[in-house]
Amino acid sequence: MKNFLQRVGQFFQTKEQTIVPFKLIFADFKKILNLNNQILDLIADANDKLSGDYIFDEQYIHSTCHQLTDLVRELIVLINHLTQQKYSDLYSSFHHIDEKIETILQGVVLCPVKDFILPYSSITRDLIDAVGGKNANLAEIGSVLGFHIPDGFAITTAAFSAFWLENNLEEKVAAIIEQWQQKAISDEEMAWEIQRMIFDSTVPAKLKRDMLDAAGSLSKGKLEATPHFAVRSSAQGEDGISSFAGQYRSCLNIPLKNLPQAYKEVVASLYSPEAMEYRRRKDFRANEIKMSVACQLMISAKTSGVMYSYDPVLPEEETLVISSAWGLGEPIVSGKISTDLFVLDRQPPHAVKEVQVVRKEQSMSLHGSGGIVMESVREEQRTQPSLKNQQLKELAQVGLQLEKYFKKPQDVEFSIDQQDRIIILQSRQLSLQQEQMPRASDLTDISGKYPILMQGKGIAAMKGIASGPVWVLEHDSTLQDFPMGAILVARYASPQLARVIHKASGFITDIGSTTGHLATVAREFRVPALFNTENAITLLKHGQEITLDTESLTVYEGIVHELHYYSFHEEPIEEMYEYRLLRRLLKKIEPLNLFDPRDENFTPKGCQTYHDLTRFVHEKAVETIIDLNFYHTHQRDTQAGQLLWSYPLDLILIDVGGGIEGEHDKGIRPEQIRSIPMQTLLHGMSHPGIWDMSPMKVDFGSFMSSLTKTPPTGNSRPEDVGRNLAVISAEYTNINFRLGYHFTVIDAYLSDNILDNHIYFRFSGGVTDTVRRSRRTSLLNKILSHYDFLCEQHGDIIVARLKRMNKESMLKRLFLLGMLIGFTRQLDVKMVSDATISVYFEQIKTIMEESYGK
Amino acid sequence: MASEQTSILILDDEPIVSKRLKPSLEKKGYEVETFTSSADALKRVTERKFNIVITDLKMDGVDGMQFLTEVKEKYPDTEVIVITGFATMATAKESFNRGGFDFLAKPFKLGEIAEVISRAEEKIKNK
Repeated sequence: MKNFLQRVGQFFQTKEQTIVPFKLIFADFKKILNLNNQILDLIADANDKLSGDYIFDEQYIHSTCHQLTDLVRELIVLINHLTQQKYSDLYSSFHHIDEKIETILQGVVLCPVKDFILPYSSITRDLIDAVGGKNANLAEIGSVLGFHIPDGFAITTAAFSAFWLENNLEEKVAAIIEQWQQKAISDEEMAWEIQRMIFDSTVPAKLKRDMLDAAGSLSKGKLEATPHFAVRSSAQGEDGISSFAGQYRSCLNIPLKNLPQAYKEVVASLYSPEAMEYRRRKDFRANEIKMSVACQLMISAKTSGVMYSYDPVLPEEETLVISSAWGLGEPIVSGKISTDLFVLDRQPPHAVKEVQVVRKEQSMSLHGSGGIVMESVREEQRTQPSLKNQQLKELAQVGLQLEKYFKKPQDVEFSIDQQDRIIILQSRQLSLQQEQMPRASDLTDISGKYPILMQGKGIAAMKGIASGPVWVLEHDSTLQDFPMGAILVARYASPQLARVIHKASGFITDIGSTTGHLATVAREFRVPALFNTENAITLLKHGQEITLDTESLTVYEGIVHELHYYSFHEEPIEEMYEYRLLRRLLKKIEPLNLFDPRDENFTPKGCQTYHDLTRFVHEKAVETIIDLNFYHTHQRDTQAGQLLWSYPLDLILIDVGGGIEGEHDKGIRPEQIRSIPMQTLLHGMSHPGIWDMSPMKVDFGSFMSSLTKTPPTGNSRPEDVGRNLAVISAEYTNINFRLGYHFTVIDAYLSDNILDNHIYFRFSGGVTDTVRRSRRTSLLNKILSHYDFLCEQHGDIIVARLKRMNKESMLKRLFLLGMLIGFTRQLDVKMVSDATISVYFEQIKTIMEESYGK
Repeated sequence: MASEQTSILILDDEPIVSKRLKPSLEKKGYEVETFTSSADALKRVTERKFNIVITDLKMDGVDGMQFLTEVKEKYPDTEVIVITGFATMATAKESFNRGGFDFLAKPFKLGEIAEVISRAEEKIKNK
């Protein structure tokens, strides 16, 4: 290696000094590649920390973010150095992101959207910081689980911040809290002062307008002549593990014009003495307190009630409890009226085990002009049960599905509307009574009570306890028959399994990685997942009841209730402050919004995350090197030309010494290449059948169209086509390929000195569907590991390294890489099932053995 | 008692460390006490002995290195595992010199610390 650099150095010394020697430019370029790799690895590692398998603290989060910030800044400095400040706009995008990251690091919850209003139909779990737990849960119950929820929208935390800012409330509230801290005023006085201040504040004009518009369009096409609304709190942390049950105010049956006033009332309840005390106990940081509000069309309820998916006092009875009464739910929740009580078996068909029908004298109903009113119940209804048997069973099914989905026993508020539909008003975690909880130390002897089917095998992709019947996946097509609550056992952790994420209690696979797509989804939906068990599919029998504990890597026969109660009692790790913080930060770091350099948003301004910035810089670095050496001839210390090849690979070769032979004015023919690594790679790529020339079947739209599009040859400018660049010398090759949406980087040095020899290979996918992408990654991993590469997999990225092998062994492996580059171009299309992984593995092995012997 | 529980003291000023480690170790059958202040932890070790101590290094007041030294002075056969987010060769060396059993850089996996603990247990048993 030293020789090579010395030689390159000597070569450049003879050149004129006015031109920046390519050696220096290339050094910058390699630094950029190196930074690029470091950044992507750090991001992937940080994401991995969310698996629950790591002990990390705030200090780690801070240092990782600062490390990333430093690396990205360096990257931007370098690309501007390389391009004479052509991309100085990157600095402002960078500062913008950096500023947000710093703010989040200080514990401030930033609203991920600018909108003041978000309709339920557009809310997903990702927006929890904007809409609060209650809104986010309810929206998902509607959109994911498909249950009826009230029509409505969320007034976001962005609206809250605008309200706060316009009225200078932060300062005013802080001043009052300070008085209280100095004991100048009592708890009640503080609460009253703050609330009064909020009532006296003005709702910003835009917020008022947006609120009234959204409410107006909600009521369009509804039968009620004058629609009324329920306005409820949906604060940070509410409905999560810290269930601020009943801490905040709800305003019922509010006429449209009074919505702004109701909004202020609900927001003011953030500062009730109880709510403030509760937050203090739960370690909520002052910065985290921002309230989103729910605004829903008021439901005229025949019956309302509360359902507990477990009896909180006697969980071991395995029953669920429903209490209900006529009319609206408010007096039921606050315990003002007596209710009917129904106890049902948790197991289907949910036999009714106990019924207590009470005499119901009063009910709450809607008042015509707004507000609510207590009325006398008609005599004949007083002693009738407020729910029918069929409704009870339906409710039980709903309750268990909610429990499965939210991973904890649920406390569900519901109403039965005038059309006899069950409407879910709220679902939140139910705390079971602590005395009933087995302590962790009691769990040590469960292995004596339940037979162990599997232990110590595999890796936990998501921590947790799951139990249910085993459901073995035989064919992909049978996935649609997957039953609710079963544990899916499959050969591969294929992303398509994510389709049953809402039904599955757990996942167990023979093969799979904790950084793949399924792992990410399992973590998002908190479904316990155990991958890489090698032979679960043969050990576990279809239909067999099991309990999976991924933390201890154990599968028990039967349902281990002790573990379940324990897990209900445990604070979910993902609800801890550090996890919330890391998740918020990663949203500013990890998502990739820039894919295609031809897209309009592929600009410094379009960069919204550190990943975007990194991607942008890499693309432009490659472009710059090509531009300098190929389109402009001022680089006299290099030779450059386009490869003339029968395959549609638009490749610019830059020779820094001994890589090319002969004239190359009209392009470089493959036989002119003297660079041994480059020669071998091309040899592999052009192996018969590897580079499929036939038009490929287009089966997933735009992705394929970009793949099959052959870049125009001739005078095409780098702006028009993908950048494919190879910097070569006799013994060295550095390649940056973009084929369709695949990115490949190879850095290889090959000489007679074993100590200097190395191959670095990085492959990443693009925007294709995740199922095939993951098959491709699995295949690459399998092949590369088989041929002695040290492989690391971070999500879709594969990094493979090889060092210090003799020339012959290195050549063989470069041939393999060439083959893989050509081959992966078509892989996504051809990998139609998981079984193709082994088929292609064997095929490639055969070709290798034919070419190089066993 | 034939099956006496191994006792573990965890000291880290960031609460998440104890919160995460305690249930996981208790499930494995260990007896665990946790502290976020080194003064409280010091007080506790004057009251009783722990078989294994897991301590962070960088803390306000008495730091982890001092705590390690004090524990080893009082109970030479207690094994001390040092965990830190600022891992350097020098600190690792120093903790070994002061009689530390092992040194783990944060963040680490649950499995990694479990493995270190069971090695420490093994050593205690074989004494």
